[in-house]
Amino acid sequence: MIRVRFLAGRLAALVALVGVLTIVLFALQEISGADPVAATLGPNASPEAVAAERARLGLDAPAFERYLHYVGGLLIGDMGTSFRTRRPVSNDIATYLPATVELVSLAFVVALVLAVAFAVLSVLRVRGAGVVRAALFLGSTAPTFLLGIFGLVVFYQQLGWLPGSGRTSASEPAGPTGLLVLDGLLTGDVGLSVDALEHLLLPAVVLAVSPALAIGRVLRSSLLTTLETDHVRTARAKGLTERAIVTRHVLRNSVNAALSMTGLQLGFMFAGVLVVENVFSWPGLGSYLSASIPVADFPAVAGVTFVLGVVYIVANTAVDVLQTAADPRIAL
Amino acid sequence: MTATAEVTTGPESRPDRVGHERVGRLRPRLPFGGRTADLAVLALVAAVTLVALLAPVLAPYDPVQPVGRLHVPVGDPQHPLGTDGIGRDLLSRTLLGLRTSWLTALVVVAIGLVVGGLVGLAAGAAGGFVDALLMRTTDLFLALPSTLVAVAVAAALGPGLLNTVIAISIVWWPFYARIVRGEVRSLVSRPHVEAARMAGVGPVRLVRRHLLPGVVPSAVITASLDVGNVVLVMASLSFLGLGQPAPAPELGADTARSLPELLAHWWIPAIPGIAVLVLSLVANLGGDAVRNLLSGRR
Repeated sequence: MIRVRFLAGRLAALVALVGVLTIVLFALQEISGADPVAATLGPNASPEAVAAERARLGLDAPAFERYLHYVGGLLIGDMGTSFRTRRPVSNDIATYLPATVELVSLAFVVALVLAVAFAVLSVLRVRGAGVVRAALFLGSTAPTFLLGIFGLVVFYQQLGWLPGSGRTSASEPAGPTGLLVLDGLLTGDVGLSVDALEHLLLPAVVLAVSPALAIGRVLRSSLLTTLETDHVRTARAKGLTERAIVTRHVLRNSVNAALSMTGLQLGFMFAGVLVVENVFSWPGLGSYLSASIPVADFPAVAGVTFVLGVVYIVANTAVDVLQTAADPRIAL
Repeated sequence: MTATAEVTTGPESRPDRVGHERVGRLRPRLPFGGRTADLAVLALVAAVTLVALLAPVLAPYDPVQPVGRLHVPVGDPQHPLGTDGIGRDLLSRTLLGLRTSWLTALVVVAIGLVVGGLVGLAAGAAGGFVDALLMRTTDLFLALPSTLVAVAVAAALGPGLLNTVIAISIVWWPFYARIVRGEVRSLVSRPHVEAARMAGVGPVRLVRRHLLPGVVPSAVITASLDVGNVVLVMASLSFLGLGQPAPAPELGADTARSLPELLAHWWIPAIPGIAVLVLSLVANLGGDAVRNLLSGRR
């Protein structure tokens, strides 16, 4: 019973938050003064044509009505027309989203692996943990684009280990999902998958450094707290090795705080990916966004913000639910 | 609520900023320790601030005019940091970009501290309905991805430094409101506040004389640990084209514009990025020092 109520509450909060996001974006649209009519018809349109177009788009209605119109449009996937590409924003986003999803997904996995490795190694006091700590500290203080530049110069230009730009060396193949690694596997083209992974690796690691450190820190400090609990003392008294204690008795009990940090770091990754994509000429939402900004293409900016914002809100709801799975006391 | 649930509302929960609150444990040990190190770091912060203030005087050349040969590499006697693709002096550009970054970061943190502090103080001191209303509003802001919203706000307002500052400030204050409100709530139930209330002290005086002094240290610590975060977010926004328009020197934008030259002339895009790294490093070390000195934690 409690569980159902908890889930319903989370779901209601999710809907409310998405609602707030739409209000914010609508208000910004109003403030921006972006005029879709001027953008589509051009400066030389006759006043009659402008008036007709305004009426067609419902721009003369009161603000509240226009807001409902906006939300109604969002519900059926209508985010307006991009001033720059002259295409519906939802089409543009559909084109660029898979590249971003693929990059963020891999970066997320890399961040988690690095975080756990960092936390566990430093708790176990493995030799060299201090060096890793100093490197991560420096990495998390650096702006994301500097890490990207560093990666490009070292691993692409100097060492030649990894490709430096784009998603693949082949001409963009059209697959069923748009996620190239997955498409390669589905169509039996393993070469494509490997190639796509090589292209993904550098930007994904660059994107993962800072979230990895943030998650790793929280995990590390809750590991240290858990290590001082009674059941761990019992495990030690039984003569278990330190490694067995950490992996078997401590990790799960410490995962919760790190989990909430993980959800929050997703927001950081969504902002970071915008920058990383520009460094690596990655054809995703970040490149789309930064092409839209200089020409004041607000529908495009709002569309990208809406899509990434909704993913962020959904992901954090998922984290809340996961936390109750890791520690059932929370839902009570 | 269990102790683990508490984490979601603690300082670690800042949506998309790295939890620099724990940096102290991660910082590589300095060869000399304690108070001396903290004071030395603060002197460094003061030096950076001084450089930022004096940048127009310190810059050897006009930052927006071509003044030398193109693509002069780092280490040249005339241009210590080299020149860019149209012959502008990179040292001059970096100094002025650094000035913009550092001063605006301080302004954003100050706005966040004052606005968030007032909201938190009001909510914590008033309690009840006012508290609930203000804190639910704050929570809404905290639940949205703040950097993304800042990007949208800056894009809606149009390019320009003032607009970027406004955009970041809008998403920045809720964090301070949370922290200050938490501090105030814990102070309100303390004996000295109760005693003051029994003595008939009015609400304004109660806040000013009995609550505010207790809140200031933790708010200042939070703020000083936050400057580095703001430096990084500002640089990202600038990199995405949400800063000052073209010829103005700005650290993120200078990197973004010279990115195509990276493989031929690495220093042109790298130097502004390294300047951001230095600023955020100094800010983080400074934040640590302030915390150590104010909280007496070693």
